[in-house]
Amino acid sequence: MPVFKGHLLSVIVFLPLFWALMGLLIPGGGREGKKVLQVWAFLGSLLTFVLSLLIYFIYLPKGPAFQFSETFDWLPSIGITYTLGLDGITLSLVLLTTFLMPLAILSSFKSIESRVREYYFLLLALETGMLGAFVALDLFLFYVFWEAMLIPMYFLIGVWGGKERIYAASKFFLYTLVGSLLMLVAIFYLSYQYKIQFGHYSTLITDLYSLKLMGGNTLMATQNILFLAFAFAFAIKVPLFPFHTWLPDAHVQAPTAGSVILAAVMLKMGGYGFIRFAFPLFPQAVSYFQNFFMTLGAIAIIYGAWIATVQPDIKKLVAYSSVSHMGYVILGLFSLNEIGVTGSIYQMLSHGISTGALFLLVGMIYDRRHTREISAFGGLAKVMPYFTIAMMIVTLSSIALPGTNGFIGEFLILLGAWKVSPFLTVIGTLGVVFGAVYMLWMFQRVMLGPIRHLENEKLKDLTFREAVVLLPLVMSIFVMGIFPSLIMDKMEFSIDRFLHQSSSDWANLHLQASHPDSMIKKGN
Amino acid sequence: MSTLTTIRPELLRLSQDQVGVLTPYFLILSGIILAILASVLKIFSPKWPVFILVIAACGAGVSESFRLLDQSPVLLFNGMMISDTYSNFFNILFLLAALFTSIISFRYLDREKLQHPEYFILLLFSALGMMLMASSLDLIVIFIALELMSIAVYVLVGFRRADRRSNEAAMKYFILGSAASAILLYGVALIYGATGHTQLKMIFTVMQIHPESTSPVFMLGAILVLIGFLFKVSCVPFHMWMPDVYEGAPIPVTGFMATGLKAAAFATLVRVFITMGYGRGLSEILQHRVHDLLWVSAVLTMGVGSFVGLTQTNLKRLLAYSSIGHSGYLLIGVIAGSKSDLSFAPGVFYLSIYAVMNLGVFIVLGLLSSRDDSGLNIHDLAGLSRRHPWIAFSLAVFILAMAGIPPTSGFVAKYLLFYSAIQADEIILTIIAVLCSAVSVYYYLRILVYMYMMEPMGSPRLLRVPLWTGFTVAAMVVFTIHMGILPAGLVDLARKAITSL
Repeated sequence: MPVFKGHLLSVIVFLPLFWALMGLLIPGGGREGKKVLQVWAFLGSLLTFVLSLLIYFIYLPKGPAFQFSETFDWLPSIGITYTLGLDGITLSLVLLTTFLMPLAILSSFKSIESRVREYYFLLLALETGMLGAFVALDLFLFYVFWEAMLIPMYFLIGVWGGKERIYAASKFFLYTLVGSLLMLVAIFYLSYQYKIQFGHYSTLITDLYSLKLMGGNTLMATQNILFLAFAFAFAIKVPLFPFHTWLPDAHVQAPTAGSVILAAVMLKMGGYGFIRFAFPLFPQAVSYFQNFFMTLGAIAIIYGAWIATVQPDIKKLVAYSSVSHMGYVILGLFSLNEIGVTGSIYQMLSHGISTGALFLLVGMIYDRRHTREISAFGGLAKVMPYFTIAMMIVTLSSIALPGTNGFIGEFLILLGAWKVSPFLTVIGTLGVVFGAVYMLWMFQRVMLGPIRHLENEKLKDLTFREAVVLLPLVMSIFVMGIFPSLIMDKMEFSIDRFLHQSSSDWANLHLQASHPDSMIKKGN
Repeated sequence: MSTLTTIRPELLRLSQDQVGVLTPYFLILSGIILAILASVLKIFSPKWPVFILVIAACGAGVSESFRLLDQSPVLLFNGMMISDTYSNFFNILFLLAALFTSIISFRYLDREKLQHPEYFILLLFSALGMMLMASSLDLIVIFIALELMSIAVYVLVGFRRADRRSNEAAMKYFILGSAASAILLYGVALIYGATGHTQLKMIFTVMQIHPESTSPVFMLGAILVLIGFLFKVSCVPFHMWMPDVYEGAPIPVTGFMATGLKAAAFATLVRVFITMGYGRGLSEILQHRVHDLLWVSAVLTMGVGSFVGLTQTNLKRLLAYSSIGHSGYLLIGVIAGSKSDLSFAPGVFYLSIYAVMNLGVFIVLGLLSSRDDSGLNIHDLAGLSRRHPWIAFSLAVFILAMAGIPPTSGFVAKYLLFYSAIQADEIILTIIAVLCSAVSVYYYLRILVYMYMMEPMGSPRLLRVPLWTGFTVAAMVVFTIHMGILPAGLVDLARKAITSL
């Protein structure tokens, strides 16, 4: 058992890739072959999920910072190691990934007709890339996964996407790449600084935390520049206004499963990057840029909501709603207190669930009607009652109704942000209102009213497979909304630790200045 | 002055050790001679005997060089040449390039009806020139080896005699290449005038004893030598010949040039730099001049390589610009090498990684091209993944490696290279480099777009992939991915090669 536990993370990370490679050996062809490939991929992702559930139960919330860690020398001459490890924050994101993957695969059974083998291969390879990026504790390893992830996504969008798929795929790839490359330069610099300060090479994140870098109140301070290099990469991934322009293209053109994974997991990579790398490495820079990024977050909330309101295409609407929702994440993270950060992470999870579900729902009506124009629908509630129920629950979760998962995240974020900047919080709260506007208005135009198009009269309701896809999501919306402690208990200590690392300097500076009543509840 | 006048016979006598380390060179030379003899035999077609001789010579040379990898350095011919880990490392690289080029050329020449034994003999001559160049310690020997290598390649470039583009390329390459050789030779003469030596180590010693010998004459000489090298590796502003030559040359020759020639020039450049004490005892002023010159050239080279490449539609030209861009990255390795802990090892690693993926690309292009090297427009790749999934996959792996995307070897190579640049405090240069590489990713992606995301146009023919070529490509793909995941072995080897200098 200890041997197994010692390599459990590696197993989880590489199982999908291994499974995908095995899948290449399956003799495919014809309808039967296609079915075998689909089921094979589904089983692989399901197995990965089961294994990650195992981690959920074994993980000790009050144990060491990084559990299940394993390490091997990789490129010893410059101190690069293969090191994996996981804390409570990572755990939740890993679970989100492994939970959504089987659903994404299941949802593609009908909609993907060509090049089935390659499709599932890429999806599973993508899962390996994402899981790897979440659990990597070595910056080099993280970067490898971070970039390698782009390749499967690039092909998923570019080969199975919509009309403008090539443009969207290239834009997605280049945008992300440019951001990451500057981060790469910063990684070099950090690793070299470590060598100067400690005498040996290391790219291990836990080692790099102890680096002493010059901070200060000028833009040119070392910490600030390095922070910007990291933040640029993560802000593009999040995507934070004004670096969001790749997102609507990529989301709209990607096949359904691609959009789900992109929105639900890959965007979280940006938030995760801030938490794991940018914040703890450059605490002084975080406080220097705090207001700037919170403002950007607030702008993103409002801007995303406004743009979403006027979209004629449902998928685009959902895409812009992601910009808005991820704005909350930034707002909460940069408020740098326990409530705000907890809310941000929770928001990332619940956005993953609800936006993933929305993309699935949009995909389902697209499969039936081959259009996503809002004006092409209307009155679907009459012909598709079960679909409507699912859509309604997800819509309500997206507009953060109490009792659903969305509420907890947004509420905590606004509560946390209030302590730092009431003004921005008010703007953020307006976003909740706008969110209700665009989601409910869309719901009304698509689902309610009379049936205005003849084609819509014969639409079939959810099939059994589609119901199986949606049921876990709908259930988790409520579970996460009613029992947040299931996840928060696992994260609490990790968040404390994170705050301790990333705001110790900041707290000293800031607590005396403005808010004497403790904003930061230190863990132990 | 004594060194030139006294080539005394006793210095040319070889000891047991020296004969031992010279075996790769002897093997290639005897391969050449036997191949020439075989090609004049009129009894039967010389095609097969010559081919087999060349392959055997390369193969034996590679295995001999492998055996000699761990040999301690042995000075040869009065200190004009040396055989160390470094030279054997590159011997392996050159000979493998020649070996693979021969294998793919065989079918190619059949198809183009150009099956003449001279081709293989010239290829081997060129490889011998490269080997001598990378192991020489004397500017004169470098010059002779450079000419041996280049002249053979001039002929190879113009090998498609009936094709105007090939003729043009050969002519252009010959004239510009000769001019560059002349510049190099002029530089050598000036250095000799200033120091009285052509041997690198002696020049260095003289400079240390008499710092005043770093006169303007010497400086000019050094810079002219450098320019000669920059021409060979096609760095801006000495890159003009390259796209035309790449386009005009037969595909296998282009591949050979892009790998072997470039590796040889860089390998020699690094050896000259280290032996002359660049960063470790060379005079400050000269070092600054050289550094600035290389810095500007590196930035321009990367810029031209990535931005001009964006507009290319012919694959050979596109790869020519990609090759120019990679020269720029390699220059970073040369600039950074003297000041970083990793020394020039990242550059050496990069060269070997780059050689494999580049040769791989050209082998695949050789498969895809139709007669007279046509059918190499980027549009001809449309829908390739449907017709030939494995060829498309191989090409995709090589292209991603060139773009430096993990988990391919190209990423590790770039990582190490840029890392050494940061160590050498070249932050601005590194930022320019990563941005240029991001720009170049655009045209690499276009190749993937055509292969995977476009529908095929017209009625493309199906290709037959010869067994050996398929095997070669597969090995290269495996190498490219393997080095992306487990690079430690080769990195250590590159470090060992550099420390042996």
